[in-house]
Amino acid sequence: MGKKVNIGIDYSKCGESGKIDPRDCGLCLKVCDPAVFVMHETIGTEKEQEDPYDPQDWRITPIWGSLCTRCFKCVEVCPEKAITIKW
Amino acid sequence: MMCQWCMKHGAGKKWYMNAYNYSNELAEKENMKEYLTEQWMNFEQVFIRRIMGFSSKNLGYKLKMPIIGRILRWRAENMIHSEKKNRNPINADGHFGQVIPLEDAKIIMSELAAEPIICNYCMCRWMQRKEKEAVCINFGVLSEVLEKLPRFIPKERTVRIDRETAMEKLEEFNKKGYISTVWFQPVPYINAICSCENPECGAFTLRSKFNLMAMYKAEYIIQLDQDKCQGCKSCVAMCQLNAIQFIPSMNRVIINYDKCFGCGICRHACNYDALKLIPREDYPGFDGKY
Repeated sequence: MGKKVNIGIDYSKCGESGKIDPRDCGLCLKVCDPAVFVMHETIGTEKEQEDPYDPQDWRITPIWGSLCTRCFKCVEVCPEKAITIKW
Repeated sequence: MMCQWCMKHGAGKKWYMNAYNYSNELAEKENMKEYLTEQWMNFEQVFIRRIMGFSSKNLGYKLKMPIIGRILRWRAENMIHSEKKNRNPINADGHFGQVIPLEDAKIIMSELAAEPIICNYCMCRWMQRKEKEAVCINFGVLSEVLEKLPRFIPKERTVRIDRETAMEKLEEFNKKGYISTVWFQPVPYINAICSCENPECGAFTLRSKFNLMAMYKAEYIIQLDQDKCQGCKSCVAMCQLNAIQFIPSMNRVIINYDKCFGCGICRHACNYDALKLIPREDYPGFDGKY
């Protein structure tokens, strides 16, 4: 796999303060063969979850970057063009 | 050769055959309800949270760093297997599992699992694929915890099930190709049988991609009867772990034992009775290699 792949997600486009709620979209999760992405409740942002038993603010993190094959399918499929891949 | 977890928590048997590990008595003594509530309220964050300044993000690169990589691996293994008083539920400390064949899963469901038994959405498929599939069988105190978390509970469907239904479901999932796995959560309390896919399952990813022992291989290994194999390749498509390979020149399959976890799912696909599970300890080359 060689060089370190940096997958970036623009959270102003997708996530708790973007246009897309990943729980409605999730296309990057499904298109990725090695399952690099993880969808999770937000932490560390200003906004606290109102009901911690039923969190409503979600975002996606490219967690297993070293498994990325640079196929760019996630970049192509994202309706908000929120994903970038660099190395 | 028994694994260290059987020695420690098996009472002379396999760890998941020890009834005490399923008991409400243990759950109450260790205050498991509080721990599991904290763990499952935050579970999708398990790889995002920072530990000693590091999260699991890009773990594959971090583990390759000199010195720091080795410290991280040591730290991660300690967390996965933690039995300390101060273990942290949000990091899922003390949570690891083992592959089991359908036969053992059925024994657990019929004799060992504590009630109530529920069938709820798989957390891994949800966080990795946005799929809501009700294939997780949970029991005991964990059932009561999960019932309060709407994202894991199917709407307009029966969530609580009886032992008979749980066994039927496990068989259905197994035949679909899903691998039965039993879980310490946290060790030594047992409260779940998952039906896993790879690479969707977080623990299979940790084990097969990063060699972290969040998932142990089964107490059994698969054996192929070469004379019976007709080279139909049905088993190749069934294996979640790419552990079976078809060899055209011999017109039969071979097993890759580095990748095989001994789940026995391939048996469901074989039309010629060529695949059998045998106890791991009966096979010197694999005894003790979990």
